[in-house]
Amino acid sequence: MIDIIYRIGHFVLITVFSMALGLLFMGIARKIVARIQKRYGPPVYQPYLDVLKLFGKDAITHGFIFDFGAIMALGGVIATLFFIPLGSWQLYSMEGTVILVIYLLAIASLGMAMGTVGSGNPQASVGISRALMQMLGYELPYLVILFALIYRYQTSSVWGLMQAQAGSFLNWNLFAYPLMAAVAFVVLIGMMGKKPFDSMIAPSEIGSGPVVESGGKYLGMLLLQKSITIIIELALFVNLFLGGAENILIFTFKMLIVWVLATMFGSLFPRFRIEDGIKFFWKWPLGIAILQALYIII
Amino acid sequence: MLTNYIFIPIAAAFIAYILNKRNRKAGAVITALVSAYLLLSLTALYGRWDITQSFNLSLMGYKIDFLLAVNPLSWLFAVMTAAISILIALFSINSQENFKFSSVFNLNFLIIIGSMIGIVFARDFLTLFIFWELMTWTSFYLISAGKKKMAGKAAYRYIILSAGAAYAFLMASIFIFQQTGSFAFDSAAEFLVANSPAQSIMLLLVISLPFIVKAGIFPLHIWVKDAHGNAPKEFSPFLSGMMLKIGIYGMIVVFYQLSFFKIIENTIAYRGLPLLSYLFALLGAVTIITGTILAIRQEDMKKLVAYSSISQMGYIIIGIAIATPLGFSGSMLHLMNHLIFKSTIFLALAAVIYRTGTTKMYEMGGLIFRMPLTFAAYLTAIIALAGIPPTNGFISKWVIYQALIEKGYLFLAIAAFFGSIASFMYVFKPLSTVFLGQLKPQHQNIKEVPLLMKIPMLILILVIVLFGVFPGIQMNIINQISGYLGIETVNYTLYSIQGANGAWNSLLIFNIFSAGFIIALLLFSFAKKSKLVGLLDTYSSGEYITDAESYHYAYQYYRPFDRLFDNLAAKSLTDFYETLTKNLVRSGEGLRRALAAGKLQNYALYSVLLFVILAAVGWII
Repeated sequence: MIDIIYRIGHFVLITVFSMALGLLFMGIARKIVARIQKRYGPPVYQPYLDVLKLFGKDAITHGFIFDFGAIMALGGVIATLFFIPLGSWQLYSMEGTVILVIYLLAIASLGMAMGTVGSGNPQASVGISRALMQMLGYELPYLVILFALIYRYQTSSVWGLMQAQAGSFLNWNLFAYPLMAAVAFVVLIGMMGKKPFDSMIAPSEIGSGPVVESGGKYLGMLLLQKSITIIIELALFVNLFLGGAENILIFTFKMLIVWVLATMFGSLFPRFRIEDGIKFFWKWPLGIAILQALYIII
Repeated sequence: MLTNYIFIPIAAAFIAYILNKRNRKAGAVITALVSAYLLLSLTALYGRWDITQSFNLSLMGYKIDFLLAVNPLSWLFAVMTAAISILIALFSINSQENFKFSSVFNLNFLIIIGSMIGIVFARDFLTLFIFWELMTWTSFYLISAGKKKMAGKAAYRYIILSAGAAYAFLMASIFIFQQTGSFAFDSAAEFLVANSPAQSIMLLLVISLPFIVKAGIFPLHIWVKDAHGNAPKEFSPFLSGMMLKIGIYGMIVVFYQLSFFKIIENTIAYRGLPLLSYLFALLGAVTIITGTILAIRQEDMKKLVAYSSISQMGYIIIGIAIATPLGFSGSMLHLMNHLIFKSTIFLALAAVIYRTGTTKMYEMGGLIFRMPLTFAAYLTAIIALAGIPPTNGFISKWVIYQALIEKGYLFLAIAAFFGSIASFMYVFKPLSTVFLGQLKPQHQNIKEVPLLMKIPMLILILVIVLFGVFPGIQMNIINQISGYLGIETVNYTLYSIQGANGAWNSLLIFNIFSAGFIIALLLFSFAKKSKLVGLLDTYSSGEYITDAESYHYAYQYYRPFDRLFDNLAAKSLTDFYETLTKNLVRSGEGLRRALAAGKLQNYALYSVLLFVILAAVGWII
């Protein structure tokens, strides 16, 4: 009994921590982008206020699939979170996790896609179709990288890949395989839907795409989902390329650095057309990833 | 005793045909009963791998043996055939009320069931060939019974490819018969191993031709789309779920029982894999990529799913061709899982077609509010197809990935990853355009399908989740097959599988996923209740919305992506084959004009010449 309560406590702690951290990161990003554009920008705690406000507001729904999609989106990322080592925190270490994480994230995307398209708004459909196309663009190089890493270290658990970089910081994959890290960084920007690759959101063009119909608690849940997704993706990058960390503080610091860099890079470029985005991902990141993978397997 | 499994369905076929003339539902009921009987009696056969049966026939001085035997591999295929036939027959009791050819349908369907069991029990070339032809011809009639105009042409293409390959197969097996005096697999395997490798490889490649055609492997996949898209809606699940797999069965027979792998063991190798095996795996990879890209382009939902079948067959071929224990287990897992989720998808689409009468995706929309169970079946099945945990589809793909990463086959892995990620795209297209979005005015009064059509879909949903949590059930029989074929087995428990560089525990995944879902659900239900509004009550950038039809994004869903592949898709292989046919016909025409321009005397001359030549040849030999 005590064990179960302990476990539930862990569940809640990690979930709440990641939501809070993700929202903080989003606040920081807004500030950075504002400063780059010579604006003052909202306060760093603005996303917290947004979420609190959204959960207090009235909302409209378009039927049960709309509700189910929002729940599936948030539930999917929370489930994924439990498999990721955050510093020394990890609830479940399963050896097959790296590939699993990619596919578990897909549950959340599917939930979100289903819910928003279920609203009947064509702008949401357009956004989702673009998001899926872009996903094919960036997942391919990412999976090639994972293939190379798993083959190199003979383990597919995130924990094991992190342990393999222990010792000096020169063992980090960032320094051992810099090209691969660069590819992963570009992919990370694509995954998070930041500026060159944000055609699925495109506020001025398709009314923010997938979230066009969401308001009130639906938008609140999608914001929370976004915040956890950010943490998962950053944590994956830090674990795979920056050697993870012994404790959560250092880990958070590393995630913050990656996030700030990604935000800065993101705000420098104009938006890709969707097919140009795919072409870009298949030309440079995929090409480099394949070369690096060939170097490792031969 | 083994003949019962073959001849009871074939006998029942004629009874079903006659009774179905009286009552439209009788045929399907008989099909369901016969398949249920088959399934039950096959379960009794489990574990008795020593049963054999043979017949002799003396013909013109040759002694011909017909051999039947049961082994774990054939048992599995027979059980899958029987199980899926029950569900399809149940489904078609109601769905065939208005189907003109329902008697013919049940006649052919039962004969196909019988002949497929005959194929998997056959232990010699001749028996295999007889049942193979029986299956091909009956399925030809079934495909051409489809409603559309194209059905006849599609069936024609199918029969020409199949027949050509099957006769090549017959020639090769007769050649082997001449050398060994027997059609049996065992003596053929002995002969082929002892023979010169080059000749053996040629013979085996020819023998595997009909299986490659049936499995829809590139470049002989061109019949699949049209045949699947135009076959009667109840037959598509069987065609795609089971009949493609019988091709894989044949390839396993060629690879292991006719010792193809043993013969090519010592040829040139790439990363420890003989080059010919690697070529087969590469064909699988090309199959995945072409199937996927073409699936994304389709506007017809049955054709879309047909192309997705082609691409999924690629995974199975890759796993079998790389011939590692993990690869083989992954393929067999994927084979079973593909049967389950692909039949679910086709049944759900058949339910949609039954109610709406169209297969064009852009003519539908918003059906989820009218057909929720059909939607649930489709959703579960596509989650499995896209390989998302916690369903069975993820497990099999994961095992195949493990096998590819273990050996470092980068390019095969890229194809596998591509097919998997892109499958999100093509499975989401029908979900979004048929089930979600705006409901068309003409579909306002559609109802959910009747109970008898719901039951098969419900069962299949449960099976998908069951095998997603307990893959050990499938691994049990797969390890017996591996043992039988002499492949190393893979470690597993009821809910976990040991891979090369990681393990998989599906119960844990299932529990965690439920935990995450519960947290989200709690958060959702504690917040304020929301107000339900209609589908047209949406943000439209200030535009005034008049009708639902123009407010549904469905046609050319992935246009930007398709644009990347327009050039490639324009060069279709079908055109190549058609040009080939045209040239063949033209040259034949020329020959006819030159030699047989209608003069009776010429024909007489030819007959005499032929007789003389034959007599001379006979005399010399």
